[in-house]
Amino acid sequence: MGGERSLACGRGIGLNGPQTLGNSAFFWVVWAIGLALMIALPLLASRYQIINASNILISSILAMSLCLIWGYGGILSLGQASFYCIGGYAYGIAGINLIQSSGNTELAILAGIIVPVGFAAVLGAMMFYSRLQGVYVAILTLVVSLLLGLFMRQTADPFYAIGKAAFGGMNGLKPAGAGDPGVPPLTFRFAEYSWVFDGRGIGFYWLTLAIVVLVYLGLRWLVNSSFGYKLIACREDLDRTETMGYDIRLIQLTVFCLSAAIAGLSGALYTAWGAYIHPDGFSVAPNILVVIWVVVGGRKDLTSVVISTMLLSWIALELAPYGEVSLLIQGLILVVAMLIAPDGIVAQFGAFIGRMIARKPRIAPNSWKEKIA
Amino acid sequence: MDIWGQIISYAYQYFDNAAFLALSAIGLILIYGMMGVINMAHGELMMIGAYTATFAYYAGVPVPIAIIFAGIVTGVVGVIIERLIVRHFYNQLLSSLVVTWGLSLIFTQGMLMIFGPSAKNMPTPFGSFSVGEFSFGIYRMVLFAVALLLIVGLWALFRFSSFGTKAQAAIENPTMAQALGIDTRRIYTLTFGLGSAMGGIAGAMFAMTAAVSPFFGQAYTPLAFITVVIAGGANVIAGLVYAVAYLAGIQTLTVNVFNQYIGYISIMAAAFVALLVMPTGISGFVERRRVRAMQR
Repeated sequence: MGGERSLACGRGIGLNGPQTLGNSAFFWVVWAIGLALMIALPLLASRYQIINASNILISSILAMSLCLIWGYGGILSLGQASFYCIGGYAYGIAGINLIQSSGNTELAILAGIIVPVGFAAVLGAMMFYSRLQGVYVAILTLVVSLLLGLFMRQTADPFYAIGKAAFGGMNGLKPAGAGDPGVPPLTFRFAEYSWVFDGRGIGFYWLTLAIVVLVYLGLRWLVNSSFGYKLIACREDLDRTETMGYDIRLIQLTVFCLSAAIAGLSGALYTAWGAYIHPDGFSVAPNILVVIWVVVGGRKDLTSVVISTMLLSWIALELAPYGEVSLLIQGLILVVAMLIAPDGIVAQFGAFIGRMIARKPRIAPNSWKEKIA
Repeated sequence: MDIWGQIISYAYQYFDNAAFLALSAIGLILIYGMMGVINMAHGELMMIGAYTATFAYYAGVPVPIAIIFAGIVTGVVGVIIERLIVRHFYNQLLSSLVVTWGLSLIFTQGMLMIFGPSAKNMPTPFGSFSVGEFSFGIYRMVLFAVALLLIVGLWALFRFSSFGTKAQAAIENPTMAQALGIDTRRIYTLTFGLGSAMGGIAGAMFAMTAAVSPFFGQAYTPLAFITVVIAGGANVIAGLVYAVAYLAGIQTLTVNVFNQYIGYISIMAAAFVALLVMPTGISGFVERRRVRAMQR
């Protein structure tokens, strides 16, 4: 039977399992075709569209980070964009300071991951070790994000600078002095070779696509591993998981930091893409957009979240010329999606296709009711 | 003489901060305590109240009537939201949070489309009084008085009216309340409307101290959320009073010693400290103490 063979094909490397939709050979064939189309996109689309597509790919990394902690870990962070922005600022600051001496941005990318993780470790330790959960975590992460935004807005004074990088307040991150470099593009150097990935180029698009695929496959492996089962146990019932002998505080803190790392990576890519990072990233709108992508896709499935992020970001781009309508429509999509498809439009559609293909009716793995303290 | 001015100045700031927190949080905490729903659109309900009051004022309606009118309009909006949307998300705390957040986005962007980003203003009434070198606006104390009035009114409603008794029954044990013939759905709708109306009244009051724009609510919600989180939902009124007294004290102190931003940060820190000591919020702590005292 097709179904049995298909389960075997991904099981060897642990990419398939009950925590993800799409475990069949059919799914992976469609997935590979989709990937091939995206690799070939620069042949079909204009340069402007490729630049936007790079940004959409960066957004889908951010969406996966929220999918991991909320959909799989049961921790709703309403301030996910703050880790994205911290990563962006860290990349920019490290990049401006190091690009001239080292000639590469490898350390800057590392900073874009490490700094949000450090921040998440402190915040998460305070929250999870005082056993806060549910709405408390959601509200606190949002308020922290808004406070960070408030702080970054008033940093126009030259006093707020780290080395050659000035925070710049509402003007966004900029070089401190006239002779200092701007935010560098992604630059890698190995021996005498060096590669520069400018945010406007096709190379940057392919690189981002590769990172999206790596993060996606890595997360699929993670959520279907034994750690993934612990995560889902935490999502379903914290007290029961603890009774089984697991340290729920450590599991929650670990996944919170991991998600901050992924969000930070996407923020670093964003800063490299636009050579620009601005305090508005900490405000309500970016934070709510991440939540919309994840909810509309289906927070309990990675593939659905990536698809919905791409679709919604594309809709937002198409609507951008009309101003306020764009965010209004995104808000409407969120509310309507929650009313008609609580498990996510894409995920429910995907589960429907899965049922059609498997002929015998299958139950979606994640259809049970959400339960929070 | 100047020392008196200084002392009064600190007391004035304390009551001003307390009024800010209490007014912006009272509707929110009522809804949270009753239904466990954190209404993320609360700031936008305040914004609708502020707009309603401003338009009513410029249409020649006297200020007190304009404020009451704002309360009625937002109350109706709240009832509509509850009937159409929030109703489907009871017992799903995080989903209700997200769906109301979506509503807040719709309200903000919708208002932006209808009225544009330009701010509207209402004059601040009552003028000022002075002690020594210090001059104080009277209206800020009126805000505090209104906050007190709303808290006492809420207490009286829950203590003395039949609606209050039914509502308490609906919180305590919804299934039992239903079995006794109480329409809990109607109670929830009315409570949501009442909480929204209080948000609208608060918004209308603040419209006379701040510029009214579609983003009006975002100035009030972060601190209101913090207040609700540390107050907890077990005993709405006691929780609110203690949380406001505590946070306003911290804020007054740090704003005077440092600056406005450090004031916000220290409120955040104070919230963490309070939650470390009392993970279920102040009201959960108070309730446990009371239960223990009754058992003795």
